[in-house]
Amino acid sequence: MRTQSVALGYYIVAIALLLALSAVAGAQLAGPVEDFFAQHGGSASASAHTNNWAVLVCASRYWFNYRHMANALGMYRTVKRLGIPDSNIILMLADDAACNARNKFPGCVYANQGRHLDLYGDNIEVDYRGYEVTVENFLRVLTGRMDASVPRSKRLLTDDRSNVFVYMTGHGGNEFLKFQDNEEISAFDIADALEQMWQKRRYHEILFMVDTCQANTMFSKFYSPNVLATGSSELGESSYSHENDYDIGVAVIDKFTHYILQFMEGINKTSQASMQDLFNTYDYKKFESHAGVRADLFRRPLDRTLVTDFFGGVAQAEILPFPPDESGPERSPEPKGALGHDEHAVGVVSPARSSNFNDTVLSGDARALQQRQFDTLIAAAAVGHPDAWADATRKLRAWASTFLVLVLVGWVGMRGK
Amino acid sequence: MRLLGRIGALLLLSLLCEAEQFAEDLTLRPLRDGKLAASFSFTTLLENATPRHPGSLEYDDDSQHYALFPLALGQVLREFAVTELHLTLNAGKWDYDRWGYPDEPGVGTGAELWAWMGDSAFISVDQRWKGLRNALAGLFCASLGSLDEQRTTSPILSFQPEGSLPNWTTPHQLRHATLPSEHVCTENLTPFLKLLPCKSRSGIATLLNPHKLFDADWHGMGVHVRYRQDIGVEVRLAFQAVIDPVRYSPERRREVSQILTCIYPDWSFLSIFDRVIERACPVADTSIIRVKLPTEASYAMTPTPTSIDADLATFLVDDAMKPLDIVMKWPGESAFSYPPRSMTRPLTHLSVRRALHGSNQYSAQLFISVKNNSPVQVRTGYLETMPWLLQFYLHTMHAHIDGVPRDDLVTLLSYTAPVPHARPTLLQAVLTLPPESTLQLTLDVSKPFLRYTEHPPDAQRGWDLPPAIFVPFSFENISQEDWDPRNTAWTLLERPTRIYTPVLLVDPATPDFSMPYNVIILSCTLIALIFGSVFNYLTRTFVVVHVGEDSH
Repeated sequence: MRTQSVALGYYIVAIALLLALSAVAGAQLAGPVEDFFAQHGGSASASAHTNNWAVLVCASRYWFNYRHMANALGMYRTVKRLGIPDSNIILMLADDAACNARNKFPGCVYANQGRHLDLYGDNIEVDYRGYEVTVENFLRVLTGRMDASVPRSKRLLTDDRSNVFVYMTGHGGNEFLKFQDNEEISAFDIADALEQMWQKRRYHEILFMVDTCQANTMFSKFYSPNVLATGSSELGESSYSHENDYDIGVAVIDKFTHYILQFMEGINKTSQASMQDLFNTYDYKKFESHAGVRADLFRRPLDRTLVTDFFGGVAQAEILPFPPDESGPERSPEPKGALGHDEHAVGVVSPARSSNFNDTVLSGDARALQQRQFDTLIAAAAVGHPDAWADATRKLRAWASTFLVLVLVGWVGMRGK
Repeated sequence: MRLLGRIGALLLLSLLCEAEQFAEDLTLRPLRDGKLAASFSFTTLLENATPRHPGSLEYDDDSQHYALFPLALGQVLREFAVTELHLTLNAGKWDYDRWGYPDEPGVGTGAELWAWMGDSAFISVDQRWKGLRNALAGLFCASLGSLDEQRTTSPILSFQPEGSLPNWTTPHQLRHATLPSEHVCTENLTPFLKLLPCKSRSGIATLLNPHKLFDADWHGMGVHVRYRQDIGVEVRLAFQAVIDPVRYSPERRREVSQILTCIYPDWSFLSIFDRVIERACPVADTSIIRVKLPTEASYAMTPTPTSIDADLATFLVDDAMKPLDIVMKWPGESAFSYPPRSMTRPLTHLSVRRALHGSNQYSAQLFISVKNNSPVQVRTGYLETMPWLLQFYLHTMHAHIDGVPRDDLVTLLSYTAPVPHARPTLLQAVLTLPPESTLQLTLDVSKPFLRYTEHPPDAQRGWDLPPAIFVPFSFENISQEDWDPRNTAWTLLERPTRIYTPVLLVDPATPDFSMPYNVIILSCTLIALIFGSVFNYLTRTFVVVHVGEDSH
């Protein structure tokens, strides 16, 4: 009995030691590699998406719903301006507002009183128009289950590294949204469609934005991970239109979308504004409704999630700066905003922080220098990071766990005797 | 430098076995009622190319290398082995009486798509037709995917191929479909411009400003692909518009000429297109602008045209010219006024009207009126491709001239009866029209009930019916003294032109769309009441219960 228990004890000790060693080794290597790939400090907050898609749906027909088309077109313009190409945008407009016979300004859709900015422009591609905007087509676009004859421009060809921005606007109610005054889509349908997308690995993260009456109920039924949702009004509240234009004759934009677009006008492709900044601008006094956010299914913290992760088509790229002739590697200034405090000593910068990006493009010397810097970086990652507080804590943790295991082993051994 | 570039480009192109040529032109024609008809045409010719043989659809296609030929369109054509293709997207009503025949004959409102394709044992023509219209729907952002078998017919008598059909063992088939309710807007123009080699940056295509074009009284764009024997495959991208310069000119300047039939406004590129041509397209072989000049009035035109024929001024667009803005002014003082309609003759041989009489579900009547304006007898083809929701009673078709029944003037050539929910009607007939007379056709029709799911979302608007098409093909010879040389409409046409009637709107009975909800609620209530009553009756008994001190 005793020998058996002692043997068991030694067996457990051996396994524990192996685990502890691997933990230590992992901790030593994981640090610099993770930091290399985590651009903004901390692996938990960096986004691992490689492409961006947008699905913008205006589900209302008729001239008096001009503002819903202006909502969708405003989002279209924003998303295009921030870098998502037409091939990655699915725009669904249930009616033709720009070339409508009632439109006094042909070929133009405006979103403000005074008509300062034409959202339709000269270069627009509407993928689903008129009678094609149906609940069935919307769900087929999301889930990808389409007839073989559907052309490429009407398909959502996302993969598991795609961030998708889904925007819906129209008339809605408690857990439903009306499509063309003819049929409804319910919150359960959208939740199930997103779950299908998750099962088929068709998205990395989704931002779901909806601007209708009682919009927050539309995302109350989601259950798939990595979905961030926001809506314009609570259960029992209506969302209101913002302003009329007296020459067009109808309301031209909704409050929720108007203020979001206003925030977006201050964003460009290199912006570091986070989703928390966007949600902090929600104000009941401006919207006249309680706009809501649902982030419990979203894994990353909102203050580390960039707005351009969803609205922009920004690819992750590392630009190494042109090194100065004086001593030492150039240390870029600490950028504003909430970012990690483990700064890399080798001078790795993201495009947002590099002020001399244009200068680094490219003499032969600069390229050779960049290559050398790249090699140094790889070498640093291989051998271990020079100094990092997080790395030290990891090592401490690993050693402490090993020590604990040894103490336990000793205790078991003493008891056995 | 640019010349060297052009020479280099030409050399490179000549090295390829399939050389390509690109030509663009614009024709501006002032119309009698003061409007201006602008007709853009961009032609790309792929020399020595042939359409893909449908027998080769089983295997992968050879790689195609294009320099100027639009790749997106070329891939679609080869994928489905299309020999000839015509797609038009039009908006508005073409007024044949006042504007004459259009430069491009396909002016039916909405979307019209027709294609000649060779038979194949591997994939049927219908399957390829489905793939073709969906591919074009994706390419041109139009709802062409809904041109399914409920709208597709094969009217070979009216839609003869405009090019030549290659001599293959398998015959060619025609598929034709119309969607009259289709809107045309900037999203259709965007991919159209992207098919051009110079896009809208240089050349004549710079004038295609959607904000002005879609303000026109009539506008239409067309994509025409045809095969020319021993020459090659030609793609012609066309845009026509009828613009009203009076709306744009600040002074609304007009001159009223003596005979009160010809009135012309001031116009310039800046006023009607809001653009000027900054530079020429470097890959265009020819880039020509033609302006039709009025013969009666005096005009002032800047800049000086390259050449002037009898009534045609030609401008060659090349880089030697500075930004090109053609300005036409008539130095007159009077303000614009329309000529009275009764004093003007229609500009076409036939004037056609079509109407739907009767508001009843079962006793409606289709009424067609064809007026022969010419002094000779005209024979014309008459085509109706009507969706199944307006069903003809063909035995009730009667023809009248001034109340006198003349059924002998109508000869039915073919009639394909509709299959409800599946196939449209195809009616092809020949009408013989005596000179200077009006033939009235009446036909009883009925409107069936549609299924609940077949109604469009705006069901109360009704359904647009595709236009009827007249193809005048035979004119009797006329004597010399009857021929009026001033009126060009009387010249005999070399090839029959299609004349489209306006679209009709039919109003089938719409159900009460809340009825399914009502029925469900009502039946659930009834079932609950019935079940509850029966259950209570069967299982509930009433028992007297004593309450108080006298228990035990």
